[in-house]
Amino acid sequence: MRLYQKEGILKDGSRVILRPMVKEDRDGLLDFFRRVDDHDLMFLRDDVRDPAHIDEWIEHLDYRTVYPLIAEVDGRIVGNATLHMRRVGWKRHLGNVRLVVAKEHQGKGLGTLMVNEIIGLAAEFGLEKLVAEIHLLAHTALATFKKAGFSAKAVFEDLVEDPSGKKGDLVVMVCNVLARER
Amino acid sequence: MRVALISDIHSNIQALEQVLARLDRAGVDLILNLGDLVGYNANPNECLELLQTRPVLSLAGNHDLALLDVELAQHFNIIAYQAIVWAQSEVRPEYREFLKNLPLTREGQGYVACHGTPTSADSYINYHFQGKKVLKTLDKGLKLRVCFFGHTHRRALWYKDIRGKVATLPLKPGKIILEPTWHYLINPGSVGQPRDGNPDAAYAIFDDEDFSIQYLSVPYDVAAAQISILEAGLPKFLAERLAQGV
Repeated sequence: MRLYQKEGILKDGSRVILRPMVKEDRDGLLDFFRRVDDHDLMFLRDDVRDPAHIDEWIEHLDYRTVYPLIAEVDGRIVGNATLHMRRVGWKRHLGNVRLVVAKEHQGKGLGTLMVNEIIGLAAEFGLEKLVAEIHLLAHTALATFKKAGFSAKAVFEDLVEDPSGKKGDLVVMVCNVLARER
Repeated sequence: MRVALISDIHSNIQALEQVLARLDRAGVDLILNLGDLVGYNANPNECLELLQTRPVLSLAGNHDLALLDVELAQHFNIIAYQAIVWAQSEVRPEYREFLKNLPLTREGQGYVACHGTPTSADSYINYHFQGKKVLKTLDKGLKLRVCFFGHTHRRALWYKDIRGKVATLPLKPGKIILEPTWHYLINPGSVGQPRDGNPDAAYAIFDDEDFSIQYLSVPYDVAAAQISILEAGLPKFLAERLAQGV
């Protein structure tokens, strides 16, 4: 096993490697985001299919502010979860979580595995609570975060907008990192 | 009897040396090590060797257990996991045997010592409901007054008074005299990776004669510990956090 990675097993028995993103992941990431379902991309904040955006991301990797976790199966990226942290200010004890799972690996427990890993990392980094903002219609994501210990705290009606201009509701989910019992 | 409480050494030899030097001068009767000798930092063998030179009673923490059984390490986050995988390849066979023989709890005159809680090396006492649950076990189940615990890497003093109120007490400098009729949960903090904002190596001294606890800490060569971590190829974050005490 290569240093600084961890192996997990999905519901279908396939083995997945979890590890932090590194600069060498540029092409793998582009390939991954091209494979992500168009519908799922609608819920993302950035244009992750734009190579320039990926380059910018890769060039400025700083695990102290954004810890990007990669899931790999047979050398291919199949999932990406990021933990966003602030070191100062009134939200310094909070982290934000974002998660994308490739269509062909949804429903196999990969999302739950990655969110659980992010919760463990958040505890390691001294964060107290994690926040996830999810579209009300992203049912799979809502279920994944709930299973990992998040609970819905607020719903903001018509707060977000898809590329076609259609408004949607945003759910804010929170996980109390230190109170979570294994 | 004066009992020194040390916990969560986590292979930090620089911190352990300074704490033991202070304890030598303080003249304690016994040193209780509340677990997690290994993991995170880069000098597990040196720490295990040094502990053999003192009258130390140790118990097993979740990282000690994970070093012996890789399946347990699967529950660790990727950073802690990497550090324990590294330690598995480093710890000498005689010290693995030592870790294998460690108990999960130890009992003494009116107290029980554990890593996480008396029933699990992997559970935390961070919040009121967690403290309340352990205090109930202490009072009703174990019929003991005091529980020493670690695992959180943060100093803490929980109490349950005679009316059943559960809360934490502020950690004042100097001796804190405890109420003889109350029950207490005492966490001395971490020797090798403190997480309460003070990077100094933390420990405590419990005195069962005047029923008191004193929280103490000592500075150590953080830079040397950081260099060892980086030279071992462990995650950089593990080195950086030592300087911040997080």
